[in-house]
Amino acid sequence: MANIDVGSILKLVENQSKALAEKLFKQYTHQAVSDVRDFLQKSTLNLKRWVEELARGEMDKDEFESLVKGQADVAEMRALKQAGLAAVQIDTFTNGVLDIIVSAAFAAIP
Amino acid sequence: MKISILAAPLGLTLLFSSACSLIAPYDRAAYEHATNAKVDTLALMSKATGSYDEHEKEVEALVRQLDKAYEYDRGRQLNKITSAQWNILRDPNRDLVGGFLKMWKAKGTLSPTFIAEKKKQIGDAFDQIIQLESEKLK
Repeated sequence: MANIDVGSILKLVENQSKALAEKLFKQYTHQAVSDVRDFLQKSTLNLKRWVEELARGEMDKDEFESLVKGQADVAEMRALKQAGLAAVQIDTFTNGVLDIIVSAAFAAIP
Repeated sequence: MKISILAAPLGLTLLFSSACSLIAPYDRAAYEHATNAKVDTLALMSKATGSYDEHEKEVEALVRQLDKAYEYDRGRQLNKITSAQWNILRDPNRDLVGGFLKMWKAKGTLSPTFIAEKKKQIGDAFDQIIQLESEKLK
């Protein structure tokens, strides 16, 4: 029977999984925060411009209201996208951990 | 003996990779539906300075195109998030494509400034669907 050091396999899997998690989720968090920040900046600039266009009579009140409400709809769609991207990251992590387990197990076989 | 030792991790991999997904994988057809719908929607919106009645057939065709894209995505496993995005975009009682078309119908014509601003907003809304699809695992 092959002499397998299960303890060292588990340690290897743990260390590599931790490194993978740190890399993937740090990257995701950075992107998500940057996405939200960009959206808030753009929304502020948009709102200022719409108010000016409304004041100049270039659009009516209904149209202005539609733009403001539409921005809230886009925010919701953006939040859904972020939720989806988080799920993608978790799937990537799961697949990565499985690869790590298989590689570690194969590497441990004499 | 080696075979049985190897079988465990391989079995686990197969089991988990099929059972542990949280979201649908990338689908090229879905991506193309969304990008085509974006282009066609923005093109039709540019015509909203003109009378709704003159463009009613084109509006109906666009609504059908959006409905087909939604139904395709709705039929995919683990794809509730993208379906929810399509629902917001198409809903006539909200303020993206569905709301824009409803307003055009009610008012007859829309102002060029509003159309230009709304096109940017709706383009951004489509990009949320497109970006999510393109980031799904291939």
